[in-house]
Amino acid sequence: PAGPGGVAVPRAGLKKLALPPDYSGITIPEKPKLKFMDKVPAVPKVQREPRQLRDIRGPSQVATDFTEGQYGILALGGGYLHWGHFEMIRLTIGRSMDPKNMFAVWRVPAPSKPVTRKSLGHRMGGGKGPIDRYVTAVKSGRLVVEVGGHCEFGEVQPFLARVAQKLPFPAVPVSRESLQEMRREEEEKRLDNQNPWTFERVVTSNMLGMRKYLSPYDLQLKGRYWGKFFLKHRV
Amino acid sequence: AVAAKMAALGGGGTRWRQAWLPTLQLLRRGSKAVTRHWKAMHLQRQKLMAVTEYLRPRPALPPRCLPRPSPQGQQEDGQARVLRRQVEETLRASRMVAVCQYNSMPDEDLATFRHYLRKHDIHVKFVLNEIVRPVLEQSKFRNLLPLFVCRNILLVSPEPRAREMLRVLRGVPQVNLLGACIDETILSRRGVENFAQLPSLEVSQGQTVAALSLLSSQTSSLLQRGPAHLTALLDEHIRRLRDTGGATEPPPG
Repeated sequence: PAGPGGVAVPRAGLKKLALPPDYSGITIPEKPKLKFMDKVPAVPKVQREPRQLRDIRGPSQVATDFTEGQYGILALGGGYLHWGHFEMIRLTIGRSMDPKNMFAVWRVPAPSKPVTRKSLGHRMGGGKGPIDRYVTAVKSGRLVVEVGGHCEFGEVQPFLARVAQKLPFPAVPVSRESLQEMRREEEEKRLDNQNPWTFERVVTSNMLGMRKYLSPYDLQLKGRYWGKFFLKHRV
Repeated sequence: AVAAKMAALGGGGTRWRQAWLPTLQLLRRGSKAVTRHWKAMHLQRQKLMAVTEYLRPRPALPPRCLPRPSPQGQQEDGQARVLRRQVEETLRASRMVAVCQYNSMPDEDLATFRHYLRKHDIHVKFVLNEIVRPVLEQSKFRNLLPLFVCRNILLVSPEPRAREMLRVLRGVPQVNLLGACIDETILSRRGVENFAQLPSLEVSQGQTVAALSLLSSQTSSLLQRGPAHLTALLDEHIRRLRDTGGATEPPPG
């Protein structure tokens, strides 16, 4: 606001009274805290499974959207979650949330994939090691936990950020709106890219014989994923 | 040669296939596709990633050089509407509207100030510029707009009591009179002081009536001036005759 002489006159205007948020459609279930996840499944596996790291690679097809809650933790990379991570998540969220007004829900299954480990200090050979622990595979773009209730993102974000930092893959706390915003920005970026040469175009038409140096999976991954990592800045 | 090639390829079938898998894949390179560490990319792949990076759209004119878009779609605040209506009513109902600059005062001093003004039937109203400005633009007080810049108050009253208002304001240094609109006449500070020194309406009305009737009151005395002069002369003459000789009879008449 300019006063006489063009000098800006700072002033406090009328206070804009915002209505409190409407939580009418949200019911808090009976057991609002996170369920306890077993270290070992009820029927432990006898047969040792091959590594199959392809369950870490690429974008996730399951649990990418919100179901019950309003806020959650989004994985931005692939990784394995074992019982220690589950306990950390369960206890931290259980400690920081208010069970009367908030509830939390798992979006990943209990560990079921057996991972072997050879005893330390021995040479190669002698067969596959025994089962060390069980893990769950998480791909990028998957929600790990969901939190909801009569609360706002600002209340939930601090402890979700602390949990997300401790996970073995990069993760961020998100809300429904922020996830939508993220997707919209990604789409906008893809549309208003000024570079006529995109990874997808080069790979699908095999320009300059690039497919010799790329994997057949790059047709689907389109240069946004490298191993278990998700490259956020790409396209 | 063909048979050897077939055997080396491990094609399985006997049919000659156009597409073939390289025997020595890149398994030489050591690690698998998915690793815990950041796997080093082939140089060609690095070049491809560098070429296919995202390029931000750069408009010819940066957006900060363009004029700022005016804030659009402001929701009409109910409270603002109520306050605007109140301001309109006060402006309509009062004959005297004085705009003063307000600097922060202690609360008790403010209460005393309001009390003194209330005794002379002058009301103190705190107004927000962002509400008053649109109201003034639409009403007839358009010329008061330059006064509503800083923090200000309105002293409104249904009667033009300028003298008492100035007396109270003189005692309060934190409130400065900027201008006033009395009986639909905009006055500056000097104008208000002059207005205060004017006599009140009844006195001035009496003075006007007296001035107008002055000439008519003089008419009767003007008309009687001739005969009055004659009467005075004759009386003087009689007196002189009486003084000179009492024997001489006065002339008839």
